[in-house]
Amino acid sequence: MSEFKTTSLYEFHLSKKAKMIDFAGWSMPFSYEGTLKEHNYVRDGAGYFDVSHMGRLRLKYSQIEDINYLICSDLKNINNTKALYSIFTSESGTAIDDVIFWKFEDDLILICNASNTNKIKTHLDINSIDYEDLTLTTDLIAVQGKNAINIVNEIMTVPDKFSTFKEGKYIYARTGYTGEDGVEVMIDNNDTLDFISDLESRGVQPCGLGSRDTLRLEASLPLYGFELTDDITPVEAGLKWTITNNDNYLGKEAIDEQLNSKQHKHLKKFKLQAKQIARTGTICNSDGVEGVVTSGNISPVLGLPIGFVLFKSNPSDDLVEFDIRGNLVEGNLLYKRFLS
Amino acid sequence: MSETKYLETHEWYIVDGETFTSGISDYAQGELGDIVFVTLPEVGQEFNKGDAIVEVEATKTVAEAYAPMNCVITEVNSTLETEPELINNDPVGEGWMVKAEIKEMDDSGMSYQQYELFIS
Repeated sequence: MSEFKTTSLYEFHLSKKAKMIDFAGWSMPFSYEGTLKEHNYVRDGAGYFDVSHMGRLRLKYSQIEDINYLICSDLKNINNTKALYSIFTSESGTAIDDVIFWKFEDDLILICNASNTNKIKTHLDINSIDYEDLTLTTDLIAVQGKNAINIVNEIMTVPDKFSTFKEGKYIYARTGYTGEDGVEVMIDNNDTLDFISDLESRGVQPCGLGSRDTLRLEASLPLYGFELTDDITPVEAGLKWTITNNDNYLGKEAIDEQLNSKQHKHLKKFKLQAKQIARTGTICNSDGVEGVVTSGNISPVLGLPIGFVLFKSNPSDDLVEFDIRGNLVEGNLLYKRFLS
Repeated sequence: MSETKYLETHEWYIVDGETFTSGISDYAQGELGDIVFVTLPEVGQEFNKGDAIVEVEATKTVAEAYAPMNCVITEVNSTLETEPELINNDPVGEGWMVKAEIKEMDDSGMSYQQYELFIS
Protein backbone atom coordinates (compact mmCIF):
# COMPACT_ATOMS: atom_id res chain seq x y z
CA MET A 1 0.00 0.00 0.00
CA SER A 2 1.08 3.52 -0.67
CA GLU A 3 1.91 5.86 2.21
CA PHE A 4 0.13 8.60 0.27
CA LYS A 5 -3.57 9.31 0.00
CA THR A 6 -5.17 7.59 -2.94
CA THR A 7 -8.27 8.19 -5.00
CA SER A 8 -10.84 5.43 -5.46
CA LEU A 9 -9.21 4.74 -8.85
CA TYR A 10 -5.77 3.90 -7.40
CA GLU A 11 -5.96 0.16 -8.17
CA PHE A 12 -7.35 0.98 -11.59
CA HIS A 13 -4.39 3.27 -12.34
CA LEU A 14 -1.97 0.53 -11.28
CA SER A 15 -3.78 -1.98 -13.50
CA LYS A 16 -3.24 0.47 -16.39
CA LYS A 17 0.49 0.52 -15.52
CA ALA A 18 0.40 4.25 -14.87
CA LYS A 19 3.55 5.93 -13.64
CA MET A 20 2.50 7.19 -10.23
CA ILE A 21 3.89 10.30 -8.56
CA ASP A 22 3.44 11.97 -5.23
CA PHE A 23 1.36 15.07 -5.78
CA ALA A 24 0.41 17.17 -2.76
CA GLY A 25 0.42 14.07 -0.56
CA TRP A 26 -1.58 11.98 -3.04
CA SER A 27 -0.34 9.13 -5.19
CA MET A 28 -1.56 10.19 -8.63
CA PRO A 29 -0.99 9.00 -12.22
CA PHE A 30 1.72 11.07 -13.93
CA SER A 31 1.25 9.29 -17.26
CA TYR A 32 -0.01 6.06 -18.77
CA GLU A 33 1.46 6.05 -22.26
CA GLY A 34 3.63 9.17 -22.16
CA THR A 35 2.96 12.83 -21.59
CA LEU A 36 3.20 13.94 -25.23
CA LYS A 37 0.90 11.17 -26.43
CA GLU A 38 -1.66 12.06 -23.79
CA HIS A 39 -1.27 15.77 -24.57
CA ASN A 40 -2.18 15.00 -28.17
CA TYR A 41 -5.14 12.79 -27.22
CA VAL A 42 -6.65 15.91 -25.71
CA ARG A 43 -5.63 18.29 -28.49
CA ASP A 44 -6.86 15.94 -31.23
CA GLY A 45 -9.53 13.81 -29.57
CA ALA A 46 -10.51 13.34 -25.95
CA GLY A 47 -8.88 12.29 -22.71
CA TYR A 48 -10.02 11.86 -19.13
CA PHE A 49 -8.11 12.85 -16.02
CA ASP A 50 -8.60 11.57 -12.49
CA VAL A 51 -8.35 14.84 -10.58
CA SER A 52 -10.09 13.50 -7.48
CA HIS A 53 -7.20 14.72 -5.34
CA MET A 54 -8.57 18.25 -5.75
CA GLY A 55 -10.68 19.38 -2.82
CA ARG A 56 -14.46 19.44 -3.21
CA LEU A 57 -16.51 21.31 -0.66
CA ARG A 58 -20.27 21.81 -0.72
CA LEU A 59 -21.21 25.28 0.47
CA LYS A 60 -24.56 26.73 1.49
CA TYR A 61 -26.21 29.12 -0.91
CA SER A 62 -27.47 31.10 2.07
CA GLN A 63 -23.85 32.06 2.89
CA ILE A 64 -23.04 33.42 -0.55
CA GLU A 65 -22.56 36.99 0.74
CA ASP A 66 -19.92 35.79 3.20
CA ILE A 67 -18.21 33.66 0.57
CA ASN A 68 -18.22 36.56 -1.86
CA TYR A 69 -16.30 38.62 0.70
CA LEU A 70 -13.37 36.18 0.53
CA ILE A 71 -12.78 36.18 -3.25
CA CYS A 72 -11.86 38.82 -5.82
CA SER A 73 -14.64 37.86 -8.27
CA ASP A 74 -18.36 38.46 -8.28
CA LEU A 75 -19.93 35.13 -7.38
CA LYS A 76 -23.08 36.67 -5.96
CA ASN A 77 -24.54 38.25 -9.08
CA ILE A 78 -23.80 35.62 -11.71
CA ASN A 79 -26.54 33.19 -12.71
CA ASN A 80 -27.25 30.13 -10.61
CA THR A 81 -26.11 27.89 -13.46
CA LYS A 82 -22.60 29.30 -13.80
CA ALA A 83 -19.11 28.01 -13.11
CA LEU A 84 -16.64 30.66 -11.95
CA TYR A 85 -12.85 30.70 -11.76
CA SER A 86 -11.76 32.87 -8.87
CA ILE A 87 -9.12 33.49 -6.25
CA PHE A 88 -9.37 33.49 -2.46
CA THR A 89 -7.34 36.55 -1.51
CA SER A 90 -5.63 37.32 1.78
CA GLU A 91 -5.78 40.68 3.50
CA SER A 92 -2.61 41.67 1.65
CA GLY A 93 -4.24 40.71 -1.65
CA THR A 94 -2.17 37.61 -2.28
CA ALA A 95 -3.61 34.33 -3.51
CA ILE A 96 -4.61 31.81 -0.86
CA ASP A 97 -5.82 29.53 -3.66
CA ASP A 98 -7.26 29.68 -7.14
CA VAL A 99 -10.52 27.76 -7.26
CA ILE A 100 -13.62 26.97 -9.28
CA PHE A 101 -17.13 27.51 -7.99
CA TRP A 102 -20.05 25.59 -9.44
CA LYS A 103 -23.11 27.65 -8.71
CA PHE A 104 -26.50 25.96 -8.40
CA GLU A 105 -29.86 27.18 -7.16
CA ASP A 106 -29.61 25.30 -3.90
CA ASP A 107 -25.89 25.03 -3.20
CA LEU A 108 -22.36 25.69 -4.40
CA ILE A 109 -19.51 23.30 -5.05
CA LEU A 110 -16.06 24.72 -4.39
CA ILE A 111 -13.14 22.98 -6.09
CA CYS A 112 -9.72 23.85 -4.72
CA ASN A 113 -6.16 22.68 -5.30
CA ALA A 114 -5.21 19.48 -3.48
CA SER A 115 -2.26 21.21 -1.84
CA ASN A 116 -4.61 23.88 -0.47
CA THR A 117 -7.63 21.90 0.69
CA ASN A 118 -6.68 22.13 4.36
CA LYS A 119 -5.73 25.79 4.05
CA ILE A 120 -9.08 26.60 2.44
CA LYS A 121 -11.01 24.62 5.05
CA THR A 122 -9.24 26.53 7.83
CA HIS A 123 -9.91 29.81 6.04
CA LEU A 124 -13.61 28.94 5.77
CA ASP A 125 -13.69 27.90 9.44
CA ILE A 126 -12.16 31.20 10.55
CA ASN A 127 -14.76 33.07 8.52
CA SER A 128 -17.65 30.98 9.88
CA ILE A 129 -18.53 29.46 6.53
CA ASP A 130 -19.99 25.96 6.71
CA TYR A 131 -18.93 23.29 4.28
CA GLU A 132 -19.43 19.62 3.65
CA ASP A 133 -16.19 17.98 2.51
CA LEU A 134 -16.98 15.68 -0.42
CA THR A 135 -13.34 15.04 -1.38
CA LEU A 136 -13.20 11.46 -0.15
CA THR A 137 -16.74 10.30 -0.92
CA THR A 138 -16.76 11.47 -4.52
CA ASP A 139 -14.39 11.49 -7.47
CA LEU A 140 -13.69 14.23 -9.98
CA ILE A 141 -13.14 13.19 -13.57
CA ALA A 142 -12.20 15.82 -16.15
CA VAL A 143 -13.13 14.82 -19.70
CA GLN A 144 -11.22 17.16 -21.97
CA GLY A 145 -10.45 17.67 -25.61
CA LYS A 146 -11.59 18.59 -29.06
CA ASN A 147 -14.16 15.76 -29.13
CA ALA A 148 -14.96 15.74 -25.41
CA ILE A 149 -18.27 17.60 -25.66
CA ASN A 150 -19.69 15.37 -28.38
CA ILE A 151 -18.75 12.25 -26.47
CA VAL A 152 -19.97 13.41 -23.06
CA ASN A 153 -23.21 14.55 -24.68
CA GLU A 154 -23.97 10.89 -25.40
CA ILE A 155 -23.86 10.23 -21.64
CA MET A 156 -25.33 13.42 -20.12
CA THR A 157 -26.73 16.81 -21.10
CA VAL A 158 -23.79 19.13 -21.70
CA PRO A 159 -24.45 22.73 -20.65
CA ASP A 160 -23.04 25.90 -22.26
CA LYS A 161 -19.44 26.85 -21.62
CA PHE A 162 -18.76 27.91 -18.01
CA SER A 163 -22.10 26.50 -16.93
CA THR A 164 -23.06 23.82 -14.43
CA PHE A 165 -25.57 20.98 -14.42
CA LYS A 166 -26.89 18.16 -12.27
CA GLU A 167 -28.30 15.08 -13.92
CA GLY A 168 -28.84 11.72 -12.25
CA LYS A 169 -25.67 10.67 -10.51
CA TYR A 170 -23.60 13.40 -12.16
CA ILE A 171 -22.86 16.89 -10.84
CA TYR A 172 -20.73 18.77 -13.36
CA ALA A 173 -19.56 21.88 -15.12
CA ARG A 174 -18.11 22.71 -18.48
CA THR A 175 -15.02 24.83 -17.82
CA GLY A 176 -12.39 23.11 -19.95
CA TYR A 177 -9.93 22.84 -17.12
CA THR A 178 -7.01 21.99 -19.44
CA GLY A 179 -7.67 24.82 -21.87
CA GLU A 180 -9.50 22.56 -24.34
CA ASP A 181 -13.26 22.43 -24.13
CA GLY A 182 -14.34 19.86 -21.58
CA VAL A 183 -16.57 18.77 -18.76
CA GLU A 184 -15.55 18.13 -15.16
CA VAL A 185 -17.76 15.54 -13.52
CA MET A 186 -18.20 14.89 -9.80
CA ILE A 187 -19.52 11.46 -9.10
CA ASP A 188 -19.99 9.15 -6.13
CA ASN A 189 -17.01 6.80 -5.56
CA ASN A 190 -19.16 3.73 -6.28
CA ASP A 191 -20.11 4.96 -9.75
CA THR A 192 -16.71 6.12 -10.98
CA LEU A 193 -15.44 2.88 -12.52
CA ASP A 194 -18.63 2.47 -14.56
CA PHE A 195 -18.35 6.04 -15.76
CA ILE A 196 -14.75 5.76 -16.94
CA SER A 197 -15.42 2.36 -18.56
CA ASP A 198 -18.20 4.08 -20.45
CA LEU A 199 -15.81 6.87 -21.48
CA GLU A 200 -13.16 4.39 -22.58
CA SER A 201 -15.68 2.45 -24.66
CA ARG A 202 -16.31 5.73 -26.50
CA GLY A 203 -12.61 6.21 -27.23
CA VAL A 204 -11.68 8.60 -24.41
CA GLN A 205 -8.09 7.92 -23.31
CA PRO A 206 -6.73 8.04 -19.76
CA CYS A 207 -4.35 10.96 -19.25
CA GLY A 208 -2.04 11.78 -16.34
CA LEU A 209 -1.00 14.91 -14.51
CA GLY A 210 2.08 15.30 -16.75
CA SER A 211 -0.09 16.17 -19.72
CA ARG A 212 -2.44 18.15 -17.49
CA ASP A 213 0.55 20.42 -16.78
CA THR A 214 1.77 20.72 -20.39
CA LEU A 215 -1.80 21.34 -21.60
CA ARG A 216 -2.45 24.01 -18.99
CA LEU A 217 0.90 25.69 -19.61
CA GLU A 218 0.34 25.72 -23.37
CA ALA A 219 -3.13 27.16 -22.74
CA SER A 220 -1.50 29.95 -20.68
CA LEU A 221 -3.27 28.85 -17.49
CA PRO A 222 -1.58 29.36 -14.11
CA LEU A 223 -0.76 26.55 -11.70
CA TYR A 224 -0.98 27.19 -7.98
CA GLY A 225 2.39 26.81 -6.28
CA PHE A 226 4.13 28.14 -9.38
CA GLU A 227 2.43 31.14 -11.03
CA LEU A 228 0.24 31.78 -8.00
CA THR A 229 1.40 31.56 -4.41
CA ASP A 230 0.74 33.07 -1.00
CA ASP A 231 3.16 35.77 -2.11
CA ILE A 232 1.58 36.80 -5.43
CA THR A 233 -1.58 38.81 -6.03
CA PRO A 234 -3.99 38.24 -8.96
CA VAL A 235 -2.81 41.60 -10.35
CA GLU A 236 0.80 40.45 -10.36
CA ALA A 237 -0.12 37.07 -11.85
CA GLY A 238 -1.77 38.77 -14.84
CA LEU A 239 -5.22 37.67 -13.65
CA LYS A 240 -6.82 41.12 -13.50
CA TRP A 241 -9.77 39.71 -15.41
CA THR A 242 -10.75 37.72 -12.33
CA ILE A 243 -11.15 40.92 -10.30
CA THR A 244 -14.87 41.51 -10.84
CA ASN A 245 -15.98 41.84 -7.22
CA ASN A 246 -17.48 45.34 -6.86
CA ASP A 247 -18.28 44.88 -3.19
CA ASN A 248 -15.77 45.14 -0.41
CA TYR A 249 -13.72 41.95 -0.16
CA LEU A 250 -10.72 40.73 1.80
CA GLY A 251 -7.58 42.15 0.19
CA LYS A 252 -9.45 44.72 -1.92
CA GLU A 253 -7.46 47.66 -0.55
CA ALA A 254 -4.10 46.11 -1.41
CA ILE A 255 -5.30 44.98 -4.82
CA ASP A 256 -6.77 48.39 -5.70
CA GLU A 257 -3.52 50.00 -4.63
CA GLN A 258 -1.59 47.76 -7.06
CA LEU A 259 -4.08 48.41 -9.85
CA ASN A 260 -3.60 52.15 -9.41
CA SER A 261 0.14 52.35 -8.81
CA LYS A 262 1.15 49.58 -11.23
CA GLN A 263 4.10 49.15 -8.84
CA HIS A 264 4.17 45.41 -8.43
CA LYS A 265 5.66 42.17 -9.72
CA HIS A 266 4.68 41.15 -13.25
CA LEU A 267 4.10 37.63 -14.52
CA LYS A 268 4.86 37.27 -18.24
CA LYS A 269 4.80 34.52 -20.82
CA PHE A 270 7.93 33.68 -22.77
CA LYS A 271 9.07 31.60 -25.70
CA LEU A 272 12.59 30.43 -26.51
CA GLN A 273 14.09 29.65 -29.89
CA ALA A 274 16.35 27.08 -28.29
CA LYS A 275 16.61 23.42 -27.46
CA GLN A 276 16.78 24.06 -23.75
CA ILE A 277 13.85 24.39 -21.41
CA ALA A 278 13.96 27.24 -18.92
CA ARG A 279 12.50 25.42 -15.92
CA THR A 280 11.09 26.57 -12.60
CA GLY A 281 13.68 28.67 -10.75
CA THR A 282 15.70 29.72 -13.80
CA ILE A 283 16.95 33.29 -13.34
CA CYS A 284 16.59 35.77 -16.18
CA ASN A 285 17.08 39.39 -16.98
CA SER A 286 15.34 41.81 -19.28
CA ASP A 287 17.10 45.13 -19.67
CA GLY A 288 18.14 45.16 -16.03
CA VAL A 289 14.88 43.83 -14.61
CA GLU A 290 15.43 40.51 -12.89
CA GLY A 291 12.96 37.67 -13.15
CA VAL A 292 12.56 34.04 -12.20
CA VAL A 293 10.83 31.31 -14.19
CA THR A 294 7.74 29.95 -12.42
CA SER A 295 6.95 27.15 -14.92
CA GLY A 296 8.67 26.06 -18.11
CA ASN A 297 8.30 23.16 -20.48
CA ILE A 298 7.98 22.34 -24.12
CA SER A 299 4.88 23.43 -26.00
CA PRO A 300 4.12 20.22 -27.90
CA VAL A 301 2.08 22.18 -30.46
CA LEU A 302 4.72 24.88 -31.07
CA GLY A 303 7.67 22.51 -30.64
CA LEU A 304 9.42 25.21 -28.61
CA PRO A 305 10.18 25.82 -24.95
CA ILE A 306 7.63 28.13 -23.31
CA GLY A 307 6.89 29.27 -19.81
CA PHE A 308 5.95 31.92 -17.29
CA VAL A 309 8.42 34.29 -15.68
CA LEU A 310 7.85 36.58 -12.70
CA PHE A 311 9.65 39.94 -12.92
CA LYS A 312 10.33 42.25 -9.99
CA SER A 313 8.84 45.12 -12.00
CA ASN A 314 7.45 45.58 -15.49
CA PRO A 315 10.24 45.02 -18.02
CA SER A 316 10.37 47.59 -20.82
CA ASP A 317 11.97 45.21 -23.30
CA ASP A 318 10.61 42.03 -24.94
CA LEU A 319 14.03 40.43 -25.02
CA VAL A 320 14.99 38.29 -22.06
CA GLU A 321 18.22 36.49 -21.28
CA PHE A 322 17.84 33.25 -19.34
CA ASP A 323 20.66 31.68 -17.39
CA ILE A 324 20.10 28.00 -18.12
CA ARG A 325 22.70 26.04 -16.16
CA GLY A 326 25.38 28.62 -16.92
CA ASN A 327 24.45 29.20 -20.58
CA LEU A 328 22.81 32.47 -21.52
CA VAL A 329 19.80 31.74 -23.74
CA GLU A 330 17.74 34.47 -25.36
CA GLY A 331 13.96 34.45 -25.33
CA ASN A 332 11.04 36.71 -26.08
CA LEU A 333 8.11 37.83 -24.01
CA LEU A 334 4.67 37.18 -25.46
CA TYR A 335 1.64 39.37 -24.95
CA LYS A 336 -0.90 36.96 -26.38
CA ARG A 337 -1.67 33.40 -25.44
CA PHE A 338 0.84 30.73 -26.47
CA LEU A 339 -1.74 29.15 -28.79
CA SER A 340 -4.05 31.40 -30.75
CA MET B 1 32.22 -6.17 -30.77
CA SER B 2 32.09 -6.57 -27.00
CA GLU B 3 28.97 -6.74 -24.87
CA THR B 4 26.88 -3.71 -23.97
CA LYS B 5 28.00 -2.30 -20.63
CA TYR B 6 26.18 0.07 -18.31
CA LEU B 7 27.26 2.85 -15.96
CA GLU B 8 25.77 3.79 -12.60
CA THR B 9 24.80 7.08 -14.24
CA HIS B 10 22.57 5.09 -16.66
CA GLU B 11 24.56 5.33 -19.87
CA TRP B 12 25.35 2.29 -22.00
CA TYR B 13 28.38 1.81 -24.22
CA ILE B 14 29.69 -0.85 -26.59
CA VAL B 15 33.39 -1.03 -27.35
CA ASP B 16 34.34 -1.93 -30.92
CA GLY B 17 38.13 -1.99 -31.28
CA GLU B 18 39.41 1.57 -30.82
CA THR B 19 35.99 3.16 -30.63
CA PHE B 20 32.76 2.95 -28.65
CA THR B 21 29.12 3.83 -29.20
CA SER B 22 27.11 5.25 -26.31
CA GLY B 23 23.64 6.34 -25.28
CA ILE B 24 21.31 6.18 -22.27
CA SER B 25 19.65 3.10 -20.87
CA ASP B 26 16.04 2.02 -21.26
CA TYR B 27 15.58 2.60 -17.53
CA ALA B 28 16.91 6.17 -17.89
CA GLN B 29 14.61 7.05 -20.78
CA GLY B 30 11.67 5.63 -18.81
CA GLU B 31 12.51 7.78 -15.81
CA LEU B 32 12.93 10.91 -17.95
CA GLY B 33 9.65 10.54 -19.79
CA ASP B 34 9.20 12.07 -23.24
CA ILE B 35 12.50 13.37 -24.56
CA VAL B 36 11.92 16.56 -26.53
CA PHE B 37 15.35 18.11 -27.17
CA VAL B 38 18.88 16.75 -27.35
CA THR B 39 22.06 18.82 -27.43
CA LEU B 40 24.85 16.76 -28.98
CA PRO B 41 28.58 17.51 -28.86
CA GLU B 42 30.71 18.49 -31.87
CA VAL B 43 32.76 15.92 -33.74
CA GLY B 44 36.37 16.30 -32.57
CA GLN B 45 35.42 17.42 -29.06
CA GLU B 46 37.44 15.71 -26.34
CA PHE B 47 35.98 14.44 -23.10
CA ASN B 48 37.30 12.85 -19.96
CA LYS B 49 35.50 10.01 -18.22
CA GLY B 50 32.55 11.48 -16.32
CA ASP B 51 32.29 14.68 -18.39
CA ALA B 52 28.81 15.60 -19.60
CA ILE B 53 28.64 14.86 -23.35
CA VAL B 54 24.96 15.14 -24.18
CA GLU B 55 22.15 17.19 -22.65
CA VAL B 56 18.72 15.59 -22.74
CA GLU B 57 15.59 17.68 -22.17
CA ALA B 58 12.47 15.71 -21.32
CA THR B 59 8.98 16.85 -20.37
CA LYS B 60 9.67 15.83 -16.78
CA THR B 61 13.23 16.99 -16.27
CA VAL B 62 16.66 17.59 -17.84
CA ALA B 63 19.55 15.15 -17.67
CA GLU B 64 23.08 14.75 -18.93
CA ALA B 65 24.79 11.73 -20.40
CA TYR B 66 28.39 11.28 -19.26
CA ALA B 67 31.49 9.99 -21.03
CA PRO B 68 32.21 6.35 -20.07
CA MET B 69 35.94 6.90 -20.65
CA ASN B 70 38.41 9.46 -22.02
CA CYS B 71 37.57 9.92 -25.69
CA VAL B 72 37.26 12.10 -28.80
CA ILE B 73 33.89 12.30 -30.52
CA THR B 74 33.96 10.89 -34.07
CA GLU B 75 30.25 10.82 -34.93
CA VAL B 76 26.97 12.04 -33.45
CA ASN B 77 23.48 10.73 -34.15
CA SER B 78 22.12 13.92 -35.69
CA THR B 79 18.77 12.24 -36.42
CA LEU B 80 18.07 12.81 -32.72
CA GLU B 81 17.94 16.56 -33.33
CA THR B 82 14.70 16.14 -35.26
CA GLU B 83 13.53 12.83 -33.78
CA PRO B 84 14.56 12.85 -30.10
CA GLU B 85 11.77 10.33 -29.43
CA LEU B 86 14.08 7.66 -30.91
CA ILE B 87 15.76 7.64 -27.49
CA ASN B 88 12.44 6.72 -25.87
CA ASN B 89 11.53 4.18 -28.51
CA ASP B 90 14.87 2.42 -28.99
CA PRO B 91 17.43 3.72 -26.47
CA VAL B 92 20.09 1.06 -27.04
CA GLY B 93 19.55 0.91 -30.81
CA GLU B 94 18.43 3.77 -33.04
CA GLY B 95 18.56 6.09 -30.06
CA TRP B 96 22.38 5.91 -29.80
CA MET B 97 23.94 9.30 -29.16
CA VAL B 98 27.66 9.37 -29.97
CA LYS B 99 30.51 7.33 -31.34
CA ALA B 100 33.98 8.16 -30.06
CA GLU B 101 37.60 7.20 -30.36
CA ILE B 102 38.93 5.77 -27.12
CA LYS B 103 41.81 7.74 -25.61
CA GLU B 104 42.14 5.57 -22.55
CA MET B 105 40.32 2.26 -22.38
CA ASP B 106 38.11 1.82 -19.33
CA ASP B 107 35.78 -1.13 -19.72
CA SER B 108 34.68 -1.13 -16.09
CA GLY B 109 30.95 -0.78 -16.79
CA MET B 110 28.39 -3.25 -15.47
CA SER B 111 27.00 -6.13 -17.48
CA TYR B 112 23.26 -5.95 -18.19
CA GLN B 113 22.61 -8.46 -15.39
CA GLN B 114 24.61 -6.36 -12.91
CA TYR B 115 22.89 -3.18 -14.08
CA GLU B 116 19.46 -4.78 -13.67
CA LEU B 117 20.33 -5.58 -10.07
CA PHE B 118 21.66 -2.03 -9.63
CA ILE B 119 18.42 -0.38 -10.75
CA SER B 120 16.06 -2.78 -9.00
